[in-house]
Amino acid sequence: MKPKKLRKSSVLPGFGLTLGFTLAYLSLIVLIPLSATFAKAASGGWAHFWNTVTDPRVVASYRLTFGASLAAAAFNVVMGLLIAWVLVRYPFPGKRIVDALIDLPFALPTAVAGITLTTLLNAHGWVGRYLEPLGIKAAFTPLGIVIALIFIGLPFVVRTVEPVLQNVDAEVEQAAASLGAGRFQTFVRVIFPELAPALLTGFTLAFARAIGEYGSVVFISGNMPMRTEITPLLIITKLEQYDYAGATAIGVVMLLISFALLLVINFLQRRAEL
Amino acid sequence: MSIEVQKITKTFGDFTALKDVTIKVPSGQLVALLGPSGSGKTTLLRIIAGLEVPDSGTVLFDGADATSRSARERQVGFVFQHYALFRNMSVFENVAFGMRVKPKSERPTKQAINDRVHELLRLVQLERLGDRQPAQLSGGQRQRVALARALAVQPKVLLLDEPFGALDAKVRQELRRWLRRLHDEIGITSVFVTHDQDEALEVADRVVILHDGRVEQEGTPEEVYEHPASPFVYNFLGNVNLFHGRVEGSKVHLGDFSMDAPPDMENGQTDPGAVVYARPHLLDLDHEPPKNRPHFKAKIVHIHPAGAVVKVELTTDAGNPINAELPHERYRGLGLQKGMTVFVSVRDMKVFSKAQSMLGGGI
Repeated sequence: MKPKKLRKSSVLPGFGLTLGFTLAYLSLIVLIPLSATFAKAASGGWAHFWNTVTDPRVVASYRLTFGASLAAAAFNVVMGLLIAWVLVRYPFPGKRIVDALIDLPFALPTAVAGITLTTLLNAHGWVGRYLEPLGIKAAFTPLGIVIALIFIGLPFVVRTVEPVLQNVDAEVEQAAASLGAGRFQTFVRVIFPELAPALLTGFTLAFARAIGEYGSVVFISGNMPMRTEITPLLIITKLEQYDYAGATAIGVVMLLISFALLLVINFLQRRAEL
Repeated sequence: MSIEVQKITKTFGDFTALKDVTIKVPSGQLVALLGPSGSGKTTLLRIIAGLEVPDSGTVLFDGADATSRSARERQVGFVFQHYALFRNMSVFENVAFGMRVKPKSERPTKQAINDRVHELLRLVQLERLGDRQPAQLSGGQRQRVALARALAVQPKVLLLDEPFGALDAKVRQELRRWLRRLHDEIGITSVFVTHDQDEALEVADRVVILHDGRVEQEGTPEEVYEHPASPFVYNFLGNVNLFHGRVEGSKVHLGDFSMDAPPDMENGQTDPGAVVYARPHLLDLDHEPPKNRPHFKAKIVHIHPAGAVVKVELTTDAGNPINAELPHERYRGLGLQKGMTVFVSVRDMKVFSKAQSMLGGGI
């Protein structure tokens, strides 16, 4: 049997060196801290671990965190695509300003975002007072959490879709039109498949960011046990009670769920790119 | 289906792409829009396809006004210069696209689509490549997929924008002959854009020569080649030698020799600033001054013997460059060498007045 050839000759050499560096770097930055998390979580013993992570209050928080993050990321995919579309396709006055506004959620300290949104959305706030008569309560409800997560996740989808959309050849759309395809068919059959990988990437980024988000959510959620407590908040609570093993135990569960979800998304993305 | 374009004008900002252009494409013919880049030929094609909206003028399909119809409603097959294939679909799906997007009532059955795609792939000689992705094909193959895709919806007109522009010389030649055969087979009214005069003259039934957004001349390849309407057309359709002279009565005077003006020159006119054009293959070289033919002396600067003809570069005493093309036998018979001085005679030429050449100049 011939030895399997891993490296192909290429213009830029250095496969061994770069792969070695990549692995060493990933270990240093990601794997070592993560394994420390696992070790710490185990330090309290199995019973403590299990009791902590299956506490109804904690389980409710998983549901809220992952549910709200998924909802926010999904919403951002739709709106982000729309915004990227407008920014790429149409020239309009003030385009540069709008473009700069997109990145603002990145730059703003999340606590500021949280306080601002709470002020706006509470029953007496500028927006909340009009929602109240309609029976919609935004502040201190899961809806408020989703809104905060939409806010902080917005730039991800816009910024990943924009360059791909720019590369979609206008001639491809014209070809579809001359073949008799309507606008909707052209979008669904021709443009959307080209954007799908980028949309998934944007979704993943927005989703991952939302899972770990703390600052902007704690103000608007109201932190009611079983109803509006997010998982990162519970971790902080445990830390404040000096229950380090418990805090890391919840962290480990979050990590595992996130990792599983990201794997699935990556797999979907592979399929979309083929 | 016949196409008529009447008085089309199109501007992009300050740039006027087309000025008052009128052309006719008779049903079933293969017509070339020929011109240098920036002449407006692609814009004209896109206006016929409905991909561009003219500022004024009308487009008629079989005599009916189609100007306000969208690209989708015009039922034209359009082949793009850079193919514009759908990257996320296989070759098969690309060709099937036009049939799949039809409204349900008109959509062929799955089996009919399948049969039609196979038939088209056979027509463009890509039968076995249906499962490939466009990225896995060569340029010539992609172009043929684009053609099959355009033909799949049974368009009434086929429009091709520089169909072979991005291919190498050999493939180009093969494909253009193949296009001609294909056209003869299916007889669809076709218009193609090209900047390559050989391609236009070889393939088309009629040639429309565009220059600066205007129609310079329109006619069969023979007509435009043999009877160019302007110096621009003459220049554009092949290499030329250019001499400045004057016309007096029926004689043309070029430097120190004179000759009879060609019969199609307006008689009896005196033009002090005439421009005489002669194609390189219409020049003859000799060691002796030929009788009965206008001639002048020139020195050989360079000889390119490779190719179907021998290309000889010369300069006159006044320093004007001359290009001549000789058959190989003639070249060997004369025993020409670099540095020799020979007599150049003109077998045929084309005389244009100064005014015409100012108008048509630019090359």
